[in-house]
Amino acid sequence: MGRLAVDIGGTFTDLVHFDEESGNLEAEKSLSTPRDLTQGVLDTINLSGIEPDSVSFFVHGGTTVINAITERKGVRTALVTTKGFRDILEIARGNRPDMYNLRFQKPVAFVPRRRRFEVRERIDAEGCEIEPLEQEDLEAVVEQCRKQAVEAIAVQFLHSYVAPEHEAACAAFLRERLPDVAVTASHEITREWREYERGNTAVLNAYVQPIVQRYFTKLEDALRALGIECPYTAMQSNGGTTSFGWAKAHPITLIESGPAAGVNGAALIGELCDEPNVIYLDVGGTTVKCSVIEDGKPKVTTEYKLEWSRLNPGYPVRVPVADLVEIGAGGGSIAHFDAAGSLRVGPQSAGADPGPACYDLGGTEPTVTDAKLLTGVLNPKNFAGGRIALDVGRARNAMQIIADGLGTTVEDAAAAVIRVVEANMNNALKLVSIQRGHDPRDFVLVAAGGGGAMHAAPLGRELGVKEIIVPRYPGYFSAWGMLATEPRSDFAITALTRAEDITVEQIHSVFSNLEEEADAYFGAADGVGGSGLSFSRSVDMRYFGQEHTVTVAVDNAAADLDVILSEFHAAHERAYTFSLTDTPVEFVTFRLTASASVPRPRVNPMDDEHLSADRARVGRRMVGFGEDGRHEADIYDREALPAGFEAPGPLVVEEPSSTTLVHPNQRLWVDRLGFLHIGEAG
Amino acid sequence: MVNANAARHADDPVTLEIIWGKLQAAADEMGLMLARSSMSPVIYEVLDFACGVCDDKAQLVAQTNGITVFTGTFQGHVKAVIGKFGDRMRPGDIYMVNDPYSGGTHLSDVGIVKPIFVDGELLAFGIAVAHWTEIGGSVPGSLSPKATEIFHEGLRFPGLRIYREGERQDDLFDLIAANVRLPKMTLGDLNAEIAAVRIADTRIQEMCTKYGAETIRRSFSHLMSQSEKVSRAAIAALPDGVYKASDLIDGDGFTDEQVPVQVEVRIRGDTIAFDFTGTSAQRPGPLNCARGALLSAVKTVFKALVDPQAPSNEGWFRPIEIIVPDGTAFSATYPQAVGWYFEMTGQISELVWMALAPLVPERFSVGSFMSLCATFFYGKEPRSGDQFVLVEPHMGGWGASHDQDGTSVLIGTADGDTYNYSIELLEAKFPIRCNRYAMNVEAGTGKGRYRGGFGVVREYQMLTDDAHMYASLGRSIERPWGLEGGGHGSNNYVEVTSNGDSWRGARVPTTELAEGARVAIVTGSGGGYGDAHLRPPEAVRDDVLDGFITVEAARVDYGVIVSQDGTIDSDATQELRLQA
Repeated sequence: MGRLAVDIGGTFTDLVHFDEESGNLEAEKSLSTPRDLTQGVLDTINLSGIEPDSVSFFVHGGTTVINAITERKGVRTALVTTKGFRDILEIARGNRPDMYNLRFQKPVAFVPRRRRFEVRERIDAEGCEIEPLEQEDLEAVVEQCRKQAVEAIAVQFLHSYVAPEHEAACAAFLRERLPDVAVTASHEITREWREYERGNTAVLNAYVQPIVQRYFTKLEDALRALGIECPYTAMQSNGGTTSFGWAKAHPITLIESGPAAGVNGAALIGELCDEPNVIYLDVGGTTVKCSVIEDGKPKVTTEYKLEWSRLNPGYPVRVPVADLVEIGAGGGSIAHFDAAGSLRVGPQSAGADPGPACYDLGGTEPTVTDAKLLTGVLNPKNFAGGRIALDVGRARNAMQIIADGLGTTVEDAAAAVIRVVEANMNNALKLVSIQRGHDPRDFVLVAAGGGGAMHAAPLGRELGVKEIIVPRYPGYFSAWGMLATEPRSDFAITALTRAEDITVEQIHSVFSNLEEEADAYFGAADGVGGSGLSFSRSVDMRYFGQEHTVTVAVDNAAADLDVILSEFHAAHERAYTFSLTDTPVEFVTFRLTASASVPRPRVNPMDDEHLSADRARVGRRMVGFGEDGRHEADIYDREALPAGFEAPGPLVVEEPSSTTLVHPNQRLWVDRLGFLHIGEAG
Repeated sequence: MVNANAARHADDPVTLEIIWGKLQAAADEMGLMLARSSMSPVIYEVLDFACGVCDDKAQLVAQTNGITVFTGTFQGHVKAVIGKFGDRMRPGDIYMVNDPYSGGTHLSDVGIVKPIFVDGELLAFGIAVAHWTEIGGSVPGSLSPKATEIFHEGLRFPGLRIYREGERQDDLFDLIAANVRLPKMTLGDLNAEIAAVRIADTRIQEMCTKYGAETIRRSFSHLMSQSEKVSRAAIAALPDGVYKASDLIDGDGFTDEQVPVQVEVRIRGDTIAFDFTGTSAQRPGPLNCARGALLSAVKTVFKALVDPQAPSNEGWFRPIEIIVPDGTAFSATYPQAVGWYFEMTGQISELVWMALAPLVPERFSVGSFMSLCATFFYGKEPRSGDQFVLVEPHMGGWGASHDQDGTSVLIGTADGDTYNYSIELLEAKFPIRCNRYAMNVEAGTGKGRYRGGFGVVREYQMLTDDAHMYASLGRSIERPWGLEGGGHGSNNYVEVTSNGDSWRGARVPTTELAEGARVAIVTGSGGGYGDAHLRPPEAVRDDVLDGFITVEAARVDYGVIVSQDGTIDSDATQELRLQA
């Protein structure tokens, strides 16, 4: 029996198969097929030659959701709000984090004003109806949506987090009258208060829902036709998996699924290398993601903000997400000149279709991959295991526009494109590390994604990390991380109660209800796989008068109330240096995380019998090493490199899914698991 | 213990940058701490605070994103503490200061300052400044529009040692609790600020253990001198000369007369002087500010001029010289009331900005709604009988610039990373219902090749028979300015409907509101840039489709003939534009 993970990136579809009996791991890759992503999945499965009926578990991850959003390629979306509040999406929170910039521009709302509709209805903060939902207004919304050819609708009424009835009724009506339109009611995605944050979350869910719905339905059919009959699960942003059915209705919970899987994988690499502190760098075709793992633990946040930076408010998405920074810079990122004539790279990406110019699939714009080819980093004959022949002539033609703009040769233009994109990547790495108070010298950099190993050497050097580690199959890393992922779901209920009014029995019963919910979820979620649910319970608590809460783990649901309270005081003191023992305490939200366990993939030591340095050295060629200049470098075939191998840079290691650069004054060594380690020489 | 390896590499640029990153992270962590443990909505929801780290001479080295006007006053607060206590400061001490006349803003903004000692030597200060919802004085919320003396505006802390070598001075806490209307909230805010400065101490101690105190000290001076260099180069690149602007304050709350203010900016080489001589004498009410706030308001626009995105520290501001006689509306002296100082800092920033905008169009937009449009509502919660106070700034429209439309519904210059109040949260906490929160398209916006951003309408309805309000909004007569043929923006005002009476005002004294009374806070739009007839017809059409402008306005203001459904009549448009 085998476990199968497929990760669909903007550029490549990756597959990893783990044979539970032999412990063998197989990886396969083919071009993503953006016009019909299912095709790429099937291509990859067919290429891999695995027996469909041996697959006992299927997990899917991908960047479909995030790419549609960052490239603004979602569907034509409308928003329905309580009368008087349609502008909230555009007003947002009105803050200016870039506070000395007197030309500050807010992020643009995903639904323009002409498609934001108001209906009469009102619920107050206690959940009581103040004004009924006006049917007449709903009819007008239907008419407008038809007129404007709307494909998805988000519904967000005030106070729906406490009383969702109006929202639910509105959504039901719209679903009935507009059966081809995807409808999201905000309470279906999050039950937290704050109208802008919940509304924006609902809007983004709607914006991608039709795309994701079509895609999963088609994929299910195709997998079944292929003979894969097992639970189909989807990787979520919270670092766990869920069923396809649930994912179709809540696509926004997949927003960072690929990266979340990669983070799980990076934590596992850290564990295998005895390095609990990891900075994770994933360079894909479209974006770069960075995350920090401290003491072996990936971080999950419920305050995720898409496109946030210290100077940009970003877009809040209120679902649990692995804590990471992502920017639009990857192999497919397009180089261009902005209005002021400065060279920029990304965030627009050529993706897989048409792809970089050198793929010769119709792309004409110069990308980072083209630049890497023109500087000799990529081997035109050994890309994606030789399955994609890279066309240097096409890359050159595309890059000419940059060379003309800069008044340089095509080679220098390519080097400039790489410099610009690496500066962007470096800022993202600093944001998750230095600017969050971590000293990179205490961390290793785990580089993955097809492009991670190609950029890691100069980035790691500039950041000053202990060491760079390139795991096996770096180009399949998210898929590999998915195999290590457990089905997980988070359940929460807000029940604001003063400590003096609550009893241990009540706490027990709240958690029992959540556990029932979890059992029902896992029972109904067409078998998400795994076995034996494990629960972790916690309560968000605060002092009366505070808004923000401290989360206190309550591992024994029947714990003594005084113990819970004293743990809260202690946790508050740890977090904020003080406690207020004479101030009333409130229980706010009860949280239950339920997960089922799955076997983790093993990494077998390398079989060294047929490996040797001589066999691995396959050639020499001129390669551009950025600021370290152009050098004639040895080229190694990773699949032939033995454990214990050691060599000084400059050199290049090629493998089917990736290319690793080792700069001058750096050295490479290979450990017994076959991981590449790059450090500064001397 | 100093890590020998780290110390050896202590002065390389990467280490310095890492230390800067750590300082920045410490400042950000202070802010998070304060927001998360505070008890006052104006702090945890609106984020009306700022935190930072200063060196042993009170020079700012790192700050949170917060309130522009607070970060400019850190130096004043810390200097006040150094001036009073000098070498009597001890490890474990924490000080409290809010004196407007020694570098502060108004009494409501309380600075908590913790000297940070390493190996017995003073190395730095952690500072947090936050707006307390209540600090006593003649009205709930403490900012009486009718205050004439500082004594009407609450408690004054001229540098008080609230922790003495780690020991809490309970008597001072009791004194505060006995003199404010919401003691739990006020003390909660004080606790939160203390937590923030303590974390600064912890983080800096950790850095010293790792890199050595000397390295940290050198990194401070390195950071500031680097910034100073860039700052001076930016000034030197501007043409030497004298740049003037004048403006009017729309009423001081005692008279409706407009009050003249002016600035002369003199650039010579790499120095820049701001001379406010000629500005009106200080006003009888609280619409004044003292010198600390004046300096801070100038720093805000200066930073926008030289390098808006770079992290702020005192080095940037070394080229600045301020000239102003004592006793003007911008340099008020004891015991003049200064409660609404933030209206003055908005006015000052806008004045300096107006003088410099034509010089550096790529750094400045045109006139904005300017005012913080702060409103105060207070009264009794009908069920519990508890007193409530709701303090809020309001967002409005910003001006266009030479290559972009103005931004709609954004906080004014005096604040920064400041949030509007979530309506769901507000309704859950106060006996107030919000009937409308929408862009103010009715009043129009500064037309132009690029148009101004829109203001907002926020309408409240009182759900209690014990409610009062007061407010002070600027730019209620003068309109936000345009440039290069761009039009003016619109005005800010409050519209009150209570007991069948309906009226508009801007400097609103304490007013009783009946149950069911409605109060609409209406903010203005920003100015436009360039000739409106040069605006692309497609952009005008989009504004029509989005309901930002009417078909008539498209024709009259922009010379574009477009139908309600968005069809542009190109021939008619061309003809109309030619005629004009």
